[in-house]
Amino acid sequence: MPEGYTGEIIKRHADGRREGQYLSVKVDFILLHDPTFAILLPELRDSGKEIWDRDRVLVTVDHFSPPSSVERANIVKEVVSYSTMKKLPHLFMHQGICHQLLVEGPWLKPGMLALGADSHTVTGGALGCVATGMGSTDILYSLITGRTWLKPPEAVRIDLIGKLPPYLMGKDIILDLLGRYGEGGFLYQAMEFYDKDEAISMDDRFAICNMVVEGGAKNGIFWPDKVTENYLIERDGHLSHQRNWFKGDFEYSRRIKMDLSPLKPKIALPHSPAHVADVEEVRGEAIDQVFIGSCTGGRLRDIELATRLLRGKKVAQGITLLVTPASQRIYQNAIEKGYISAIVEAGGVVLNPSCGPCGGIDKGILGREERCLSTSNRNFKGRMGDPSSMVFLSSPLTAAASALAGRIIDPREVM
Amino acid sequence: MALPETIFGQVWKLGDHVNTDLIHPPSHFSLDQKKMKEGIAEGMVRLGSEVKKDSSDQGWIIVAGENFGCGSSRETSVRGLASFGVKGVVASSFARIFMRSLINVGIPVFECGEIQEYVKDGELIRISLKTGWIELTGSRRFHFSEMDPHLKKILEEGGLIGYLRKEWHEI
Repeated sequence: MPEGYTGEIIKRHADGRREGQYLSVKVDFILLHDPTFAILLPELRDSGKEIWDRDRVLVTVDHFSPPSSVERANIVKEVVSYSTMKKLPHLFMHQGICHQLLVEGPWLKPGMLALGADSHTVTGGALGCVATGMGSTDILYSLITGRTWLKPPEAVRIDLIGKLPPYLMGKDIILDLLGRYGEGGFLYQAMEFYDKDEAISMDDRFAICNMVVEGGAKNGIFWPDKVTENYLIERDGHLSHQRNWFKGDFEYSRRIKMDLSPLKPKIALPHSPAHVADVEEVRGEAIDQVFIGSCTGGRLRDIELATRLLRGKKVAQGITLLVTPASQRIYQNAIEKGYISAIVEAGGVVLNPSCGPCGGIDKGILGREERCLSTSNRNFKGRMGDPSSMVFLSSPLTAAASALAGRIIDPREVM
Repeated sequence: MALPETIFGQVWKLGDHVNTDLIHPPSHFSLDQKKMKEGIAEGMVRLGSEVKKDSSDQGWIIVAGENFGCGSSRETSVRGLASFGVKGVVASSFARIFMRSLINVGIPVFECGEIQEYVKDGELIRISLKTGWIELTGSRRFHFSEMDPHLKKILEEGGLIGYLRKEWHEI
């Protein structure tokens, strides 16, 4: 018996074939980026097969963007030359992080099933679809066949109740869940969020869904509501889907009720996204760098709220503040709204939209025993640089407040 | 290509929640086989393995704890493990992307929790796919959960690409 909205979507995509616990399902959309596309390219070429539907594939150059070494330049070159040769219509070079571009474009809609060659593909579930990450070989299979094999997951219903206080963001909600249930707390499961009060913005929902994989989940999904509709209307100019997703009463293996009002700002301590404390418990911890960016924390609302604290102030001496808008569109909006200028005046360094520091790819790499407070999703040992460096994860509000203080502080102290 | 009846190898023992950034540091991302393999050697150093050799004559069998392979989907980690000589992976539980990727490159996975407490880093163990037992050097042996028929079919084709080729022929 398939569980949850996820199970219903998988069931509707099934083509009738079954092996063991796995169902063969049709895929609506596939996301690829430079390094993970490059891994499968030799095998795709060798197969002599074509991509099943070029209109349903988004290719981004966002990891090595622009490339910082000859080897990476060659990887990007391969990806771009294949994509242009095959006339793939959705090739986005240096336009931002794939998970942001995927939800900015007119592709994902409620009820769809999308795959990506990156674990944070789960971000797209905020739009009410099933979106999950896979390795390059799995994606190669889907690119050629337009299908994949999925084991329908157990589903967990998470009701978010109450108003989100102004000092809290989506990041605090997901960190709280990860802290309470652990790194494997939702292994193989679907995390299905219901925001009855429609109190959580789409950018915050993206941050929440982005990090469900840190709890081991297969996908995270927000039940589509008015917030979803407004986002889709603003994005596409119209609502192309009927509101038929509002039907349904699903089975769940587990139910979690989460009252947002008493929640305090959260922080993940080194070296696990599930090693979570209240920010006030670690008040005063030393930091060298603050990074506001990534597919978790580089959206317009993230930059807007961070700027509210940074405007007219100065980043503490000895602290590097890096800000990376998640896409060129967000970057432009942030320029128009004056956020970028306020960040620069505060002493922040603005980097071009790309993955950059989050995966220790380029810029903002941490040196020996350096400490970074980051709005990204992973603080695994050595991920952002030297194995002895340390990464803390928080909301953009906590990050901005701490950049000004020069040490970790609770944003409520300055709001 | 049929699955072997038994797999024999030297244990590389790992704990719970070992993520792919540790197994294969992101700074070692490369499409070059040799560099992929070097990434695993670096991961081994960072994970503090007691097994210091670059490679084992017998090949490796990883024995890990809960949620093995959480984190990034970068397949360089499992491809690196394959070129490093990892012949099988036993864990109490697997992170889903990592487990799929292991199977997809043809490395069999076995779910078994009890073994963790008894197995020693560097010891030689034998996994019998036919009988479903994992035998340690002494007389201890542990049963692993039955493999899903779909995953077994992929492994029998040497990985997902072999499975896909077979599908073409059938269509």
